[in-house]
Amino acid sequence: MSLKREITISPTTRIEGHGKVTITLNEGGNVSDAYFYATEIRGFDYFLRGMDAERLPFIISRICGVCSTAHVLASVKAIESIYGTEITETARKLRELLLMAQIITNHSLVFFFLTLPDFWFSTEENPSKRNMFQIMREKPEVGKKAVTLRSFSVHLLGVVGKREVHILSAIPGGIINPLKEHERQSLLVQAQEANEIVKEAFTLGKELFERNWGDFKKAGDYKTHYMALTKDDAVEFYDGKISVVNPEGQTVSEFSADDYMEHVEEKTYEWTYAKFAYLKELEWPNGIVQVGSTARMNVNKKMTTGLAYKELNEFKRKFGSPAHTTLLLDYARLIDLLHACERAKELLEDENLTRTDTRVKVTPKAGTGVGVVEAPRGTLAHEYVLTSDGRLESMKLIIPTQLNNAAINLNLKDGAAEFIHKGKVKPGLLNRVEMIVRAYDPCIKCATRQVNEDLTVEVRNSKGELIRIPGSRLESQWLEMGS
Amino acid sequence: MRVSIVSLTCCAGCVSSFLNAGDALLDILSEDFDIVYSPTFIDLKEVPEVDLAIVEGGIRTEEDEKLIKEVRAKSRILVALGICATHGGITSLGNVLSLKTLLEKEYSQIASTKLPELKDMMYPISNFVDVDYYIPGCPPMPFLIIHTLKSIVSGKPPIRHHSVVCTECHRKIVPAKLDRLYGIYEKEADHELCMVSQGFVCLGSMTREGCGAPCPRAGFICFGCRGPPDSLLYRSRDMYAFLVKVMSARTGISEGTVKEELYRNPFIFHTFVFSKLARFQARERVI
Repeated sequence: MSLKREITISPTTRIEGHGKVTITLNEGGNVSDAYFYATEIRGFDYFLRGMDAERLPFIISRICGVCSTAHVLASVKAIESIYGTEITETARKLRELLLMAQIITNHSLVFFFLTLPDFWFSTEENPSKRNMFQIMREKPEVGKKAVTLRSFSVHLLGVVGKREVHILSAIPGGIINPLKEHERQSLLVQAQEANEIVKEAFTLGKELFERNWGDFKKAGDYKTHYMALTKDDAVEFYDGKISVVNPEGQTVSEFSADDYMEHVEEKTYEWTYAKFAYLKELEWPNGIVQVGSTARMNVNKKMTTGLAYKELNEFKRKFGSPAHTTLLLDYARLIDLLHACERAKELLEDENLTRTDTRVKVTPKAGTGVGVVEAPRGTLAHEYVLTSDGRLESMKLIIPTQLNNAAINLNLKDGAAEFIHKGKVKPGLLNRVEMIVRAYDPCIKCATRQVNEDLTVEVRNSKGELIRIPGSRLESQWLEMGS
Repeated sequence: MRVSIVSLTCCAGCVSSFLNAGDALLDILSEDFDIVYSPTFIDLKEVPEVDLAIVEGGIRTEEDEKLIKEVRAKSRILVALGICATHGGITSLGNVLSLKTLLEKEYSQIASTKLPELKDMMYPISNFVDVDYYIPGCPPMPFLIIHTLKSIVSGKPPIRHHSVVCTECHRKIVPAKLDRLYGIYEKEADHELCMVSQGFVCLGSMTREGCGAPCPRAGFICFGCRGPPDSLLYRSRDMYAFLVKVMSARTGISEGTVKEELYRNPFIFHTFVFSKLARFQARERVI
């Protein structure tokens, strides 16, 4: 009997968007390939053509309700780059505050609701219980803290962004309304509380992570280039230049946001609606690059806030720099979260934040411009071409998940190979494979805004028939036996 | 109450909004809801039988259609959450391009059978299944979601919001004498005066209330994300004429000129253009 077959996991769960994974086994029953694919497509890049630039930032955020703020900010930056607008320092600070709120909203969601259950429960736990709602039932105080931390950032988005999901205050020229002093005071009180909670979350995350580290490091460590924004060697989200380090940690390329599209190229594969982005000068596949929390730690030497900087040093000491292991993303994400809470508080402590000079007049022009920010999942770039009457002629977006797409697939293959030998599948494969995908926190909504979405994991035989992985209670729930 | 949370083609903003409810979320989770299915949060791969299904997103693929039919068959009450589920939403803008053009332009190499077939366009879920409650919005505000769900749990009819956003806006409607319309970046908005009276194309007068008018209150325009109010629900073809009348009356600009200016921008009506597709069995179900 030939052992050549395919394994499918569909839908992949506890990630944002619909996904699917297929693992192909060769005739010896070992992993020959693994694919993570997006099965949804929406068409933003085309249907927004002709839209007036003033409407664009607010509408384009609908690409993703989870990282909408990052999209709005990349969008206004792209438009301002075309118009040649210099925003005020007050507006820049308020935008950075919004971006910190974005990081906190996303990372607290990912940590508590998506990945924590993997660390919290044993691998033997019934999968129907392996989720945050179960943790909330068992330990209501953890749920309370998760919600309080998230509420801080949601409140920030509501007060400064004027809407909690799909903010509207960031417009070309600055921020639509100044922050009021009583708003700053009340947000500052919440920021103090959030900073206490984030320390506890960090301790909890680190403890659970260290307990599982021996197991985690087997989950793939495909070595690639890493890319992130940087400013004076420190992690930066809103400004700065883009820096790339090679797998050995040497800086190989540095460029400004304006030149982004000259350095990054996209390619498509026939099996997924999500495109792949890579570094043009290094060519495919050498130019495969990762972005996101680990990349931010790998590219930069410093963090601008105290506790996060201390944790960054410890991270580098423990795991090296660059750190390659996939599941370190979960650890690095907590350092981001810590930094975002500290930085938000720092910004709110600044009395100048309530200055009323938040907006300058813009002069619409035709042209091409790029806006880059660090979104929760990594470097996000919007490029627009605007016509002389202020309409969108075309756009090109490079989304973090497109950049990470190649690494996700390659790590998936390594991770699956750990669990499958000569046609024998060890229990726990499926959640392990999903943990790799989950570590990247892929945003399929973003990666597939071009046309639709769905991310799925399959095990198939050489004839393409679905097979079941025997011997595992949880896995048998979703896999069908094939040859 | 056993609850499932289902995401179809969408941006996930509506479920994010539900999660933004803070203490009210903790309350509903500990008191009322037993969430048993949600691919975003729970490792269960099969759709179970539930009392209440909360569905975000619209129908763009054959898989979406298959899933919504299965969810409907296994749910006692089905709530369409957000404008994509109720009206088709932003993704409906893609309906203006044929799918063939879209795929040829973007994915010329894709000929794979592994990916789900796309439908000819984006549909609201009511085109395929019966919907018990519609909560339009992009996304609906957390309090609106929680209030509606709480009412459903206690078996009471949810409080409806049938009028327009202007009723929730603090701005004063004062007929003006303007010579043209303005883009939102062209001038700073006055804090007290109606946005339309200042020449901005604010859609509050034809958009369902229930959001608390955060956009016009902030000096921005209403984008119409809650869709039409009761009075315009079944009259989508009248909406354009209605807006022209309101704009003209509040700005003092002739209807002909307003029409000409609005006509130049096809994106003004993005959430309304396709709402004629949505089927509302009864306006009483729209929250």
